[in-house]
Amino acid sequence: MDTEATPAEVDVPDAALVEQAQKGDTAAFDQLVSRYRGRIFAMIYNMVHNEQDAWDLAQDSFVKAWKSIGRFRGQSSFYTWIYRIVMNVTIDSLRKKQVKGGGAEFDDAIQLKEIDPASRTVPHADALPHKQMEHKEIRGRIDAAIAGLSPEHRAVILMKEIEGMQYHEIAESLGCSIGTVMSRLFYARKKLQSQLRDVYENV
Amino acid sequence: MFMKTFEENWTAWLDGEFSENECVAFEATLDDRAAAEAEKADAQKLGSFLKQQLQPHPMGNEEFFHHQLRQRIEQENGTPDADETPGRRENWWSIRRLAWLGATSLAIFAVCTFFVMRQQPAPNQSQYLTQILNARVDPGVNPDATVSIFQTNDDRVTVLWVDGLKSLPSEYAAK
Repeated sequence: MDTEATPAEVDVPDAALVEQAQKGDTAAFDQLVSRYRGRIFAMIYNMVHNEQDAWDLAQDSFVKAWKSIGRFRGQSSFYTWIYRIVMNVTIDSLRKKQVKGGGAEFDDAIQLKEIDPASRTVPHADALPHKQMEHKEIRGRIDAAIAGLSPEHRAVILMKEIEGMQYHEIAESLGCSIGTVMSRLFYARKKLQSQLRDVYENV
Repeated sequence: MFMKTFEENWTAWLDGEFSENECVAFEATLDDRAAAEAEKADAQKLGSFLKQQLQPHPMGNEEFFHHQLRQRIEQENGTPDADETPGRRENWWSIRRLAWLGATSLAIFAVCTFFVMRQQPAPNQSQYLTQILNARVDPGVNPDATVSIFQTNDDRVTVLWVDGLKSLPSEYAAK
């Protein structure tokens, strides 16, 4: 699989690549993967807060997408369609984890993971240690607050606030109504406001 | 865009999804306009804070991701199910599978009914008659024995006519 698309390949619209992929063209599917893997990985990471899990879930999502691309009819954008697969896979995984671990998924291992073993011992001159520390703390608070939301609430808040998706795109991705998306947004925002107000008021 | 519930309308108002008229109509329903505006500003602050803080987490080793993905796709069969269109799948679910489900349910119901009915004793059958019917008449001892039963369930009367019995089984001997 080529990870870098040539300029000609970049111009090819998603729909054309999907059509080729539906005929079994793995190279076309590779291009789609190259286009969206970064956003999809980042989105999953914000949902699960674990790099390895995000990697595995992104892989599972793309494998599922490949297997079912024959059923994609082009009624929505490819991105919205694959987002639906990503959300199903991720929410399923979070639900299984909650059942297995009794809802506690924020543990020391995740906190430790935040410290990259490959990170420089001596930071850049422009990144002051106390600033880095502060940023890690803030990130930890946000992650903990998001982890306290249900998988569906997590999904809507991240798709709306981080991805900037429209209600109807979120609804399509999650397979629910626009009203449900708006209602979930309302409650997710309320909960995050109550948990993070002291952080974002002081930043 | 006007929605059904307060939560939905609030979200639409906050995200600026209302038209001017809808906005005025919604704001007219608010008890404390100033508090609502403050809440709106706070929620917007949260949104920009999240956007600023949750920078996309970079995916390390993208080439390996691709390599691993290709291997998995090759393992899992290769080509996508091109002819498995949603229409075909839905039809298969709705017609063939439903027909099978219906036939199987009917068969299970019939079998269960048969066994339940078979195990139920005939109504109003007397305990005594059951015992007699279950009793063995030894053909070696009573080769010409014939047993006839006349029963009237309404009157609760049963006549047992035994002919050619040389001896009565011991358990029914008169005491």
